[in-house]
Amino acid sequence: MEPAVEIRNLVKEFRPAGRKEPLRAVDDVSLSIGAGEVYGLIGPNGSGKSTTMKALLGLVQPDSGSCRIFGNDSLQVDSRQQVGFLPENPYFYKHLSGAETLRFYGKLCGLRGAALEGRVKELLELVDLSEAGNRRLGGYSKGMLQRIGLAQALVQEPRLVILDEPTAGVDPIGSRQIRDLIFDLKKRGITVFLCSHLLEQVQEVCDRVGIIHRGRMVKEGPLDELLAVGDQTEIILRGASPELLEKIRALVSSDSGAELLRAGRPRTTLERLFLQETADRRKP
Amino acid sequence: MSHPAKNRPLNPRRIGVITMHTFTQLVRMKVFYFLGVFAVILLGSNLFEIQDLGRPDLEGTDVLRSIRSWSLGTMTLFSVVIGVVATALLLPKDVEDRTLYTILAKPVPRLDYLVGKLGGVLLLIFVSLLVMDLLMAGVLALRTNLVVAEQVAAVTAAGWPAAEIEALRQDTLNQGPTWSLHGAVFVVFLRAAVIASTAMMISTFSTSTLFTTITGFLMYFIGNFQAEARGLYFGEGVSPLEKGAGLLVATIFPDFQLFNVIDNLIEGGHFEGGELPMLIALSGFYVVLHLFVSWIVFAEKEF
Ligand SMILES: Nc1ncnc2c1ncn2[C@@H]1O[C@H](COP(=O)(O)OP(=O)(O)OP(=O)(O)O)[C@@H](O)[C@H]1O
Ligand SMILES: [Mg+2]
Repeated sequence: MEPAVEIRNLVKEFRPAGRKEPLRAVDDVSLSIGAGEVYGLIGPNGSGKSTTMKALLGLVQPDSGSCRIFGNDSLQVDSRQQVGFLPENPYFYKHLSGAETLRFYGKLCGLRGAALEGRVKELLELVDLSEAGNRRLGGYSKGMLQRIGLAQALVQEPRLVILDEPTAGVDPIGSRQIRDLIFDLKKRGITVFLCSHLLEQVQEVCDRVGIIHRGRMVKEGPLDELLAVGDQTEIILRGASPELLEKIRALVSSDSGAELLRAGRPRTTLERLFLQETADRRKP
Repeated sequence: MSHPAKNRPLNPRRIGVITMHTFTQLVRMKVFYFLGVFAVILLGSNLFEIQDLGRPDLEGTDVLRSIRSWSLGTMTLFSVVIGVVATALLLPKDVEDRTLYTILAKPVPRLDYLVGKLGGVLLLIFVSLLVMDLLMAGVLALRTNLVVAEQVAAVTAAGWPAAEIEALRQDTLNQGPTWSLHGAVFVVFLRAAVIASTAMMISTFSTSTLFTTITGFLMYFIGNFQAEARGLYFGEGVSPLEKGAGLLVATIFPDFQLFNVIDNLIEGGHFEGGELPMLIALSGFYVVLHLFVSWIVFAEKEF
């Protein structure tokens, strides 16, 4: 099957004013995302994540290498028929309301009439903005803008969704909703290419990740393989008595090959605690 | 279905969407408030009247003429300012706000985006000029009837021969809302279209609102002296290279003196044969040329 995204040896240099030598933002990056996969690109600030995504969308031109979406070259307009894009810190026309924004982008994709109206309503519900749908974007909060941006990216039901930091500035509840949305996209067979600094979430949703550093892809592969620590095993017990633990310790030390590295109470994450105390509490 | 529908440039529906969006954007920036200012100016010029009926054949017509010239002056000011400022504002704003990312990430050819933006500005100018034209025509029609009635009464009392009375009547009617006057408003629109496309061309080079605005106005003023400058290019003792450069400048930078026919029309003159079609063709040429240059620059742009 044709890969959804195919980036080959992408090189992108910027020539900022007042600097002689060019700045290499993306250095020989290759990656391929299969249809239906969720791919996460992670890396420090300024490592070239956004630039890679922009090259894939034809917003910047590669100095060498090529980008393809479902086999169509990114420099061609046609390649964008099947893509939804959420830029980082999205910003839309302040003078439009949420619904008008979605209508505008829908029309640009060739939707119209009842199909368009239905889609707008559906998307507003999806991103939880039905009530705010008639308000101008000038009065939206950052998280609301992010959500309308997400809805805008999905308007023509694209087969590939590119999300540049979809959860930036969104509270943990909204962030979890976005995570659930990505799961939902995945279930429907839509390919997702995202980058984020929230590693926990990347770990949760992505099938494969790439780590990019100073424009170079330093590690890439299926998440399970990358994260498995080859020679360790984890045992989590509930209601274990001190006697039982003592027995296990003795058992392990009697084995010549194994070694007990650590025993103690696992901690919940701050994120989980936050959600437990806020979102879960609101449910009846 | 990995090869989706072709997205050819110059799709009228997509251009229409961007045009209407730009139009809405400008309307919501309260540009139409200017129409209120226009109405005030129109009423003001209407009140300008010297209540001295000693020479009835002059004063009445003066009022009409002042209504005409004030109205067209305001229309010119409005259309030039909107043509430059709105165009200069919209494109660089999209780049600065990064709203352009989301538009170009949809299947929108860059040419369609440019044409749509320019179309929105032109639609706004057209609608405003149309409203102003109708307002002006209404006021002029009322006023002309009053003046004609007054004059005819006065000269009949003075015992003028019928033929002369008729001639005076025609002269006065000629200062009313004539087709030539509507033509003049249309020429104002054509000029605004050329200015807007010039501003669009500058803005694709600079992507700075302030620079585009200033340069746009500069181009307008230079364009008003261009004929003199051309005399320099093609005068005696100019090398072929300089001539070539001059010709290039003259082609890309519009000669706004072409539109000076407006002054003649305000004074009650008429189009000479073929003048209007010629102006339409020239304006069309400039708009297409500027769009083409903008597109060449814009197609390669990175954001
Ligand atoms: N338009 C531009 N002009 C000049 N340099 C640029 C431009 N865009 C990006 N860069 C440079 O390219 C490098 C990569 O930037 P990029 O935005 O891709 O990083 P990023 O990985 O998305 O970072 P972040 O996590 O902060 O979003 C940076 O050093 C940046 O300064
Ligand atoms: Mg980034």
